[in-house]
Amino acid sequence: MSLWQDFNAGIVKENPVLRIMIGLCPVLAVSTNAINALGMSLAVAFVLIGSNLVVAAIRKIIPDQIRIPIFIIIISTFVTVCDYIMQAYFPALYTSLGVFVPLIVVNCIILGRAEAFAYKNPVLNSVLDGVGMSLGFTLALVSIGMIREFLGMGAVFGHQLINPAATALLMILPPGAFLTIGFLMAGLNKLENKVQ
Amino acid sequence: MDINKLIKQSLVLLLVCVISAGLLSGVYLITKDKIDNNAQIAYKQAMEDVLPEKGKAVTCEAQGYSAPIQLLVGVGENGKVVGIKVLSQRETPGLGANITDLKFLKQFIGKSAKDSIEAKQDIDAITGATISTKAVCKAVRKALGKE
Repeated sequence: MSLWQDFNAGIVKENPVLRIMIGLCPVLAVSTNAINALGMSLAVAFVLIGSNLVVAAIRKIIPDQIRIPIFIIIISTFVTVCDYIMQAYFPALYTSLGVFVPLIVVNCIILGRAEAFAYKNPVLNSVLDGVGMSLGFTLALVSIGMIREFLGMGAVFGHQLINPAATALLMILPPGAFLTIGFLMAGLNKLENKVQ
Repeated sequence: MDINKLIKQSLVLLLVCVISAGLLSGVYLITKDKIDNNAQIAYKQAMEDVLPEKGKAVTCEAQGYSAPIQLLVGVGENGKVVGIKVLSQRETPGLGANITDLKFLKQFIGKSAKDSIEAKQDIDAITGATISTKAVCKAVRKALGKE
């Protein structure tokens, strides 16, 4: 596979959220507004690209039988670094993301990419895979966040656009997340059928 | 299993752990001051918000709809509430989460242990969020030593 394909795969064709449907827990929980969604995406991108890089770099010295514990140590190191940096420099964002920052450790996208891609591919390909997957995750999460924030609170990125009284509260409650993801998946499938 | 293989695996795992621990201690040391500083600023800000005059600030909590609601209540020297702030809550967005509205919280200012501080009596409940309203009332009563 070429570098371009490795990069491109995660954005639409193998979009982690809308196609592979992994890492849905944080997607459902923090997509109540666009700013939280963007903050979460950036944190996941940092961890995913970092762990892909390190796993690919040391893949030849990792014994096969203990690869999962090693992946987890690498991933949790990046998550903790990210957690400290957020607490120190972005305290407001840290407060609103709450428990979901430490929970990036168990985000299936990251362990999934380490196991399925970075462990078998060179550093450059793995980094590009991480960047592509992060972009795909960001696109999906921010779209869901914007849709839910607009329909549920009448705002986008915190800017009030329509009267909040005219909005459907349901959209910022958990069912709103499932509905939005469902409609986005359906839309993406329809689009792909048309292209083919 | 081959003993050499076992030793090799343990060593690799140990090495990864050591590097990881070293890296984390470094980041911890760099960010520690800043994090402590942020916590202090947030605490100071909260104190100033709830306690503009002399008195004491009390943290108190009561079980809300989905998780405990934590409040910081400023009680003046005359035993009246002078300021109130929600420190943490996980109420339903759009319903119970409205307990952080200033309009709602203002109702508690000036209350003392003599008042009943009960939803629907001297406190107007938030529409659709009676449980959250009751929880805040209960927490304030605790702060004033009524419960």
